[in-house]
Amino acid sequence: MERSWWGKFFVLVCFLVFAGIYVYPTVADLDLKKTNFPFKQKINLGLDLQGGLYMVLGIDFDNVYKDFISRQSNQLEDRLKEKSIKASNFEVLTKDYSLDDPRITFEYPAAEKEAVQQLIKDEFWSLRLTGDEQGHFQLGVSRTHRKTIRENTLNQSIEVIRNRIDEFGVSEPSITSQGADRIVVELPGVKDVERAKSLIGRTAKLEFKMVNDKDASSVNLSVLMGEAKEKGIVFDEEGTQKFSDYVRSLNEFLKVKLPKNTEISFERIQGKTGKVTSRVPYLIFSKTEVTGEDLQDAQVQYDPDTRMPAVSFSLSPRGAVLFDKLTGDNIGNRLAIVLDNIVFSAPTIQSRIGGGRGQITLGRGSHDEVLKEANDLAIVLRAGALPAQLEFMEQRVVGPSLGQDSIRNGSFAGIIGAALVFLFMVFYYRVSGVIAVASLTMNVLFVMAILVGLGATLTLPGIAGIALTIGIAVDSNVVIYERIREEVRSGKKLLAAVESGFQKAFRTIFDANITNAAAAGVLLMYGTGPIKGFAVTLLIGIVCTLFTAVFVCRLLFELYLKMLEKKTSPTLSI
Amino acid sequence: MLNIIRPGTNIDFASKRHIFLSLSVVVLIATCVLFFVRGLNYGIDFSGGAEIHLSVPKAWDIGKLRKELTAGGVEGLKVQQIGEPSANEYLVRAHGDEKSLGTVSGKVNETLQKTFSPTDFEIKRADVVGPAAGALLRKQGFLAMFYALLVILIYVAIRFDSRYAPGAIVALLHDSLIVLGVFMITQYQFDLTILAAILALIGYSNNDTIIVYDRVRETIHMHPEYSIEKAVNKAVNETLGRTIVTSLTTFMVVSSLWFFGGQVIKNFAFALMIGVIVGTYSSVFIASSVIIFITNYQKKRQAFENKKGKKRKQYNVRPEPKLH
Repeated sequence: MERSWWGKFFVLVCFLVFAGIYVYPTVADLDLKKTNFPFKQKINLGLDLQGGLYMVLGIDFDNVYKDFISRQSNQLEDRLKEKSIKASNFEVLTKDYSLDDPRITFEYPAAEKEAVQQLIKDEFWSLRLTGDEQGHFQLGVSRTHRKTIRENTLNQSIEVIRNRIDEFGVSEPSITSQGADRIVVELPGVKDVERAKSLIGRTAKLEFKMVNDKDASSVNLSVLMGEAKEKGIVFDEEGTQKFSDYVRSLNEFLKVKLPKNTEISFERIQGKTGKVTSRVPYLIFSKTEVTGEDLQDAQVQYDPDTRMPAVSFSLSPRGAVLFDKLTGDNIGNRLAIVLDNIVFSAPTIQSRIGGGRGQITLGRGSHDEVLKEANDLAIVLRAGALPAQLEFMEQRVVGPSLGQDSIRNGSFAGIIGAALVFLFMVFYYRVSGVIAVASLTMNVLFVMAILVGLGATLTLPGIAGIALTIGIAVDSNVVIYERIREEVRSGKKLLAAVESGFQKAFRTIFDANITNAAAAGVLLMYGTGPIKGFAVTLLIGIVCTLFTAVFVCRLLFELYLKMLEKKTSPTLSI
Repeated sequence: MLNIIRPGTNIDFASKRHIFLSLSVVVLIATCVLFFVRGLNYGIDFSGGAEIHLSVPKAWDIGKLRKELTAGGVEGLKVQQIGEPSANEYLVRAHGDEKSLGTVSGKVNETLQKTFSPTDFEIKRADVVGPAAGALLRKQGFLAMFYALLVILIYVAIRFDSRYAPGAIVALLHDSLIVLGVFMITQYQFDLTILAAILALIGYSNNDTIIVYDRVRETIHMHPEYSIEKAVNKAVNETLGRTIVTSLTTFMVVSSLWFFGGQVIKNFAFALMIGVIVGTYSSVFIASSVIIFITNYQKKRQAFENKKGKKRKQYNVRPEPKLH
């Protein structure tokens, strides 16, 4: 054999040894923790093969914009006051504008117009002027800042979800963004789907607000709610309406009837089984005195009075100062602890509370259930609040047994398919068929090794992709062999026939595979979940097909030709 | 040497091209009519909804489950038994808005717990796709198909000749539409995996087409005196053996996936099976016929314009690029 052949052969052997090392732990199903095998990595199985939970969450940006602009409105009001500019009638407008572009308006004295404009330009650069007439300014969020808000909200949400899941304890979770407003969460092996969902989807916005007991005598909440009911604003416990939507429309309807800067919020009363039996309305001040952002820690503890689990929290130094002042100023009044706009409890402040410690008591139910709820609440409080409300757009759960069935069926079908192809090739092309089978086997080995090496995920369509690669890879061999047959028929000598067969076939194979790869590439860009897995294996398969057809198959053919040369009357078995 | 197609075979495909083209046009029109008459049976991936695959220990009265779910505001409820009758596996499908869909899985679980002990039944798979997500997936899916075709069109136009590109695209559209048509007739569920199958098919069928085209180009280059019909005939006949062998092996693989691959990829494999058959047909009969059609059309137009005395650019086949 020539030296160059041996050189190439050596390269191939190196590739094979490496690929073998990569694939061995997966194929032999080694226990990675116990084995002495030096390479400790297995193929990643997709959720459809190992079971688990896949979710797509959509972010509700509309409320984020609204919150942002009302905060800006408050700040602007404060700053104008500090500058002793008399502006009035600050209002957030949402009705006549698209939900992603809320506005604020206010009145200003005509003489101060330039000063107001200068202040907005200097300090409120995230706002844009959308209207200016007769002593009214109307402002909206600027386009670039809207983009910043979106990006920040998305990134923060991912961060918060990641923190929560880390505390929940899931091995190899994946939390990624999809597009500009969606988050994909993949949790392999999770069984308690409802719990995982409530842990992830909960906003966990903790607020401390004062209960308005002063006006309690003049405002009869049950009468007001009765009035709303007549207008069709009512909550049906069995219906599909969201409770938060009901509360929002109720507050909008009663806005004119309630004392200024107050709102209605509810506490849930649960029966023994944990089911909501009734909801108690509270009249509370809208102003948030202390928020969950000032929370330092939250832990499960037992309430000494009821002997039930509860969540105790401690505030940061800043929060503790605020809390100290708040409780000192309001002795005898009630403080509402509001979580996600629901009043958890409203204890009366007995004395000034220093040190920033408090406790959230939970609803009723069996001990285990309350403990679970306390644990989850402590987790979400520690991990921080989500910056926006999340909606479950898509949710897929795969049980573990289905995944195992799929692996078994998929591999079995793949092996049967490959065996059929191998038999046919050997039957049809004889010795050359054996060469094709050898290069196909190596092809599959390389595909799997690359999958392990890249840390790509194998899904059920991915297994189908590998099987399909065999079908398609055969094509390159067929193209080459049919070419060689033609050359032989046209009377060329053995060596020349093989040489020109390979050469002529190469460009065809290259063109065909490139377009194939283009289709797979599009699939990779647009596909999600399992389909991505299919595209990845298909792409890797195409690369390996090119390599084996051009390099491996040719190498083996040269060996075969050398062996033929020793015979007296060589004929190609093709 | 075994040969499926004897060397020197010369089937006159070109003269029968009108038959093939009209056959395909009829089938395509039928597909379009079907689309409006029957439409695709969109799976929950595209229509939104819930789909729960569960297995229970014994035959089971599904009436109760149906009643409770309907009471819970779930619409379009369908329960059917799947797989072997002895396996007692059921598929529950439902429609509704995001909120009611979110509760379907929990309600099914609750109902099952009333009848069986928790270790006996199993929810094997529970997919919930909100209507908004479904619409998004549908849009993205069809965009993906569009981009795949566009990329191939551009590649073929650059690598071959602008005259080859339409044929390749016609063939691919033809294949995808016929697979869609078969799914309309059978009313099998059309979901994301089927879409992936069609995209894979676009790649595969184009592979076939390119190999035929490559040979057409080579034949024209070697025998410039041949008429386009003769060149196409020679090329198709010479590549016929390869086309059949490759289609056969690919078909072996996808049919074994269909037969042994299990419930989850049965329809995926089915789409590929149809696709391999149609794809082979289209590259042999349709793609090559379109080249003849376009070449003849260009010749006629050129002759017409020459008559009018205008000198136009000559539509010569671009010589084969050297690649050594």
